[in-house]
Amino acid sequence: MSTVQRTGVDDETRTKRTFEYAPGVVDRDDPLHGELLELNMGPQHPATHGVLRIQVLLDGENMVKVEPDVGYLHRGKEKTCESLGWRKFFVHTDRLDYLQPLMNNCAYALALEQLGGIQVPERGQTIRVLLMELSRIMAHLIYLGTTSIDLGAVTMFFFTFSEREKIYALLDAYTGHRMNNTYIRIGGVYADVEEHAEREIRAWLAQFPRKIDEFETMLTGNRIWYDRNRNVGILTPQMCKDWSLTGPNLRASGVEWDLRKQQPYSGYEHYEFEVPVGTIGDCYDRYAVRIEEMRQSVRLAEQALDRLARTRGAEFLADDRRYVLPPKSTVHTSMEELIHQFKIVTDMSLPKGEAYHAVEASKGELGFFVASDGTSHPLRCHIRAPGLMNVQAIPVLAEGRLFSDMVSIIGSLDFVMGEVDR
Amino acid sequence: MVIVKRKELSLAEKLYLPEVLRGLSVTFRKMFEPKVTRQYPEEPLPKTEVTRGQPRLVVNEDDAIACVSCGLCEAACPAYAITIDGGETDRAIEREPKRFDIDMLRCILCGFCEEACPKDAIYMSDELELADYSREALIYDIEKLKRPKAALQKRIDYVNRINKRWQTPSST
Ligand code: SF4
Ligand code: SF4
Repeated sequence: MSTVQRTGVDDETRTKRTFEYAPGVVDRDDPLHGELLELNMGPQHPATHGVLRIQVLLDGENMVKVEPDVGYLHRGKEKTCESLGWRKFFVHTDRLDYLQPLMNNCAYALALEQLGGIQVPERGQTIRVLLMELSRIMAHLIYLGTTSIDLGAVTMFFFTFSEREKIYALLDAYTGHRMNNTYIRIGGVYADVEEHAEREIRAWLAQFPRKIDEFETMLTGNRIWYDRNRNVGILTPQMCKDWSLTGPNLRASGVEWDLRKQQPYSGYEHYEFEVPVGTIGDCYDRYAVRIEEMRQSVRLAEQALDRLARTRGAEFLADDRRYVLPPKSTVHTSMEELIHQFKIVTDMSLPKGEAYHAVEASKGELGFFVASDGTSHPLRCHIRAPGLMNVQAIPVLAEGRLFSDMVSIIGSLDFVMGEVDR
Repeated sequence: MVIVKRKELSLAEKLYLPEVLRGLSVTFRKMFEPKVTRQYPEEPLPKTEVTRGQPRLVVNEDDAIACVSCGLCEAACPAYAITIDGGETDRAIEREPKRFDIDMLRCILCGFCEEACPKDAIYMSDELELADYSREALIYDIEKLKRPKAALQKRIDYVNRINKRWQTPSST
């Protein structure tokens, strides 16, 4: 990461702010001081956002040692990929980070396309950008809702969920499912966005920034939100690098690193958008960065819709009979196409080699590493799930702090266990 | 790049109480907005031709299914939900399934079977509700899967519409 630029605050101010509020200093007069208590948080604790178990060693209210324990949702996705084959694994990518199924679909498809050397037509790429930005908003809405309900703001949860519900309704009407859309295919997308769907998405996007303002009214100047997030869980850029944190967590620490800018894919280089970065890197900055990211996603999605309006009727799926199913009507009439259909469904193989492709997902860099030996089944499929790295950062941030900060830290790091355990 | 603002609290915000009232005003305003909740079984979600419900076998005008038990849907199914045993028939299509089971408990409604079928025999219906008293009852056989073409017509038209591409056969 040589191009990383540090912005905002210098190290000294950062350190000063870190210790402005220092609960790590144990209260010596506390009668319970020195008596350590081991506490299990999770795997069914509602604030651990899934089945994460955290072992906490408490001295009074201070956390002395924190150990996250992952694996309660392990379903062997990477191995499943090896046994299912290239095409069928798409449905499993939906179920990794189930808050942004379309983003996972895209990341996997991009890795396969890189391996197979497949060019996605422009319209296909634009549809993907639109869907990815909608997914990002969806995932950030969940972050906002769950984190605020954990910190006591129950109303927020319903505000964010009713907005998310609207995106689900749009996706339902356009992709056929609310969750687990399985909409992306190698070489493009399953079906074109129809005009009425474009109109509905545009109408939703037009009203959404007002809703973000409303969320901000509820939280940004809220004393409780402020006190529980401000200067809690500070991540320095160095810590982010040490623990390979990416995405909003890294940007909140003041590092401008966004794969959409640094390694553009799917034509992101043609879009105008800003990368929000924070200054201190505490829970509050991470919140502010995500809020701003939602606004930028709206911008991106609107630009994608404009491009869609310009390219209406163009190809959205690559014309490549090695990987892309032929259209139904030709299958009935052409023997050759029928053979393609059989070949692709039963035995689609990718050339020998390796590929890694990462996208800027809502939680960080989501990458798929695929290795092929030239057969229809992958030799290896590794998923770089940003959530796992985010979980790793919990002990670093939580140790030495008050137990009540744990909830803010877990919420602000934002992970989904489906992807962490995979 | 934009650096996000770190808002400092104003006096009113620090005092908290005025802010509670302001927050409540947002909440109260919500009471007069239209309801967003839905009373589910009474008010089902809208279903369109895009909705991918459970897969069903189309019964054509000749009162028979078009399936030739080629097994392509079985091969395409990522959930291993389909089991087919093929057999001969006197009809013009020569082959038909003797057994065609879809385990609805396994099916994840992905639509890969519909995409794979070269005979337009299987389509995603808009039937979504699934409940029964035993697991066996949810393994649907041919009789349970059959649906008249008219019931699936909207979906068939939709699939034909989205497949209107590359009208010329490719060279690759
Ligand atoms: S919809 Fe998917 S899971 Fe269900 S039977 Fe068809 S291919 Fe299998
Ligand atoms: S439903 Fe279609 S794909 Fe499946 S066996 Fe019958 S003809 Fe083949």
